[in-house]
Amino acid sequence: MIDTQLLISGVIFGLSLGSIYFLLAIGLSLCFGLMRIISLDQLLYYSFGAYMAYTVGLATGSFWFGVAAGTVVAGLISFIVERLIFRRIYERDPTFSMITSFGLLIGGIGVIKFFWGVVPRPVEVPTVIQVDVFGTAVPVYRLIVIGFAIVVYVGIWLFLHRTIVGKAIRAAIENVEHVEGLGINVSRLFTITFVIAGALSGLAGGLHAPLIMVDPMMGLETMAFVFMIVIIGGLGSIKGTLISALIVGQVVSVGSIIYAPMAQMAPFVMMLLVLLVRPTGLYGSPLYKR
Amino acid sequence: MLDTFVWWRGIALMIALLCGLSLVLPLPFMNEVVIFTIYVVGCNFMIGRLGYISFGQPAYLAIGAYSTAFYLFYFGSNPLVGILVGVLGGLIGSLLIGPFFVRLRSDYFAMVNLALAVVVFYLTEKVLVSITQGDNGLWFMTQMTSTPVLDLTIPSQFLAFGIIVTFFVFAFYKYLDGTIYGACCLATKLNEDKLQFIGYSNFSIRFLGFVIANTTTALAGAMYAVYLGFVSPEMGSPSRAAEPIIVTLLGGVGTLFGPVVGAIAYTGMKDVISNMIGNWELFIGFLLVFIMLVADRGIWGTLEPILARVVFPKSRNTDK
Repeated sequence: MIDTQLLISGVIFGLSLGSIYFLLAIGLSLCFGLMRIISLDQLLYYSFGAYMAYTVGLATGSFWFGVAAGTVVAGLISFIVERLIFRRIYERDPTFSMITSFGLLIGGIGVIKFFWGVVPRPVEVPTVIQVDVFGTAVPVYRLIVIGFAIVVYVGIWLFLHRTIVGKAIRAAIENVEHVEGLGINVSRLFTITFVIAGALSGLAGGLHAPLIMVDPMMGLETMAFVFMIVIIGGLGSIKGTLISALIVGQVVSVGSIIYAPMAQMAPFVMMLLVLLVRPTGLYGSPLYKR
Repeated sequence: MLDTFVWWRGIALMIALLCGLSLVLPLPFMNEVVIFTIYVVGCNFMIGRLGYISFGQPAYLAIGAYSTAFYLFYFGSNPLVGILVGVLGGLIGSLLIGPFFVRLRSDYFAMVNLALAVVVFYLTEKVLVSITQGDNGLWFMTQMTSTPVLDLTIPSQFLAFGIIVTFFVFAFYKYLDGTIYGACCLATKLNEDKLQFIGYSNFSIRFLGFVIANTTTALAGAMYAVYLGFVSPEMGSPSRAAEPIIVTLLGGVGTLFGPVVGAIAYTGMKDVISNMIGNWELFIGFLLVFIMLVADRGIWGTLEPILARVVFPKSRNTDK
């Protein structure tokens, strides 16, 4: 039997992992919901966020400056990419954007290798304090990561439900032509959404950096999990993304206490089972063509 | 009689082109081209006929390669049997995976396939380390015995074997294009509702296409394994998932001979450019973006109508 201390730290670990996956997956999910594109380059902004956290954190001595810089830089890059590239391909099939963004991801990995080399870089954990949760010592940093995810979820919810831009975005997810017909600048909505998604991916990268080694391939390694989360939750649904991110985080973390190699495979099996019952994921909408 | 000639003409020309090139170009390059061509044919069929963009091709390549490698490393020594085992492995693999995947919309399909590629990579690198030996790979170059007529352990004779296999693969796919099944594949890509209305099952058409395409990919994997004499997880690395798609796009989507043209162009570029600059990813990524934005008909897709008009004024065998 697993002892309680191990289980509690496993659950906390899973929650923080799920939080990072959520920050990443929400970008993919929003982009699909609104623009009907599959934006794999989110994984690139994630890597950039992590590398900025490393470089700026080392230069200024403060990890949090690094995370902030990563978020801003990721947002800026995604703005440029959206204006230069995605603008031209919104009209086409979703898989078309997937190929293009995969090209961006691979090219971006080349850029990272050019600037930082292939050697994995360690990032120091900003705080090593541990707190007591039900008799188990838990690193504060993991709790901070969870806090970030909660703030972002609430923030996104408020943004989508309480501001006029957010309401327009929600309406455009339902029917983009009608929103355009109301005289709302849809292309600006697209840019805003894409930049938010990119910045959140950068934030996820910065927050994840101290927990893993930063290396050029980190985006590709995380990609499978983010995909599985988005597919289990259903493309385009924020609630579904949150729920499946939490589930996958727990499965990976608690599963690795039981039997480590299988924990990496478990989300994949889960995804197959979900797809068997619901081919569009838990909360995905059955409608496809708009 | 004349029809038979017209039917085989294109394939014969292509084989003649491959043979001619192998006289001038270095042997490793040609072997790479031939195997790559077979690798891409499956992907080309999926994109061009079924409308499915598969980012999971490295997974099926790895399944074929590892099936062959397991046979040659643990059980036998005949490379021909090894290739057969590889194809069988690919067949069984796609029969198992297929029913889950082909029910999905094309965007989900692409993502699930890429996830599969990552999972297969994990399996070969970490989980099954006791039998795949992880990153060290399985080496069986010296364990293969020579085969009669064409000795697969000798690169030059392997090339002859490869060209023969390519010939049969292309003949098969050309035959497939001409059958009712081929027409159904195209129909399921263009309008699945209408096809269903006529009374065909979209599921079984896609499932069959999926199995055929991925078995072809596994065949390429098996040939890689025999040609290189070893396999490693690197072969199925998801970072190479874009390769077959790039080659398909470079050659021209859905055209029969696109894969050959694309494979020659791509392997050539790879050789030249990785010698000039070490950073291959940088180039290939932005090449992909460039193709998608500017030239989405590919080399063969652009050339074919022109060639058809100039060389064979009577044939109207283009599908665009």
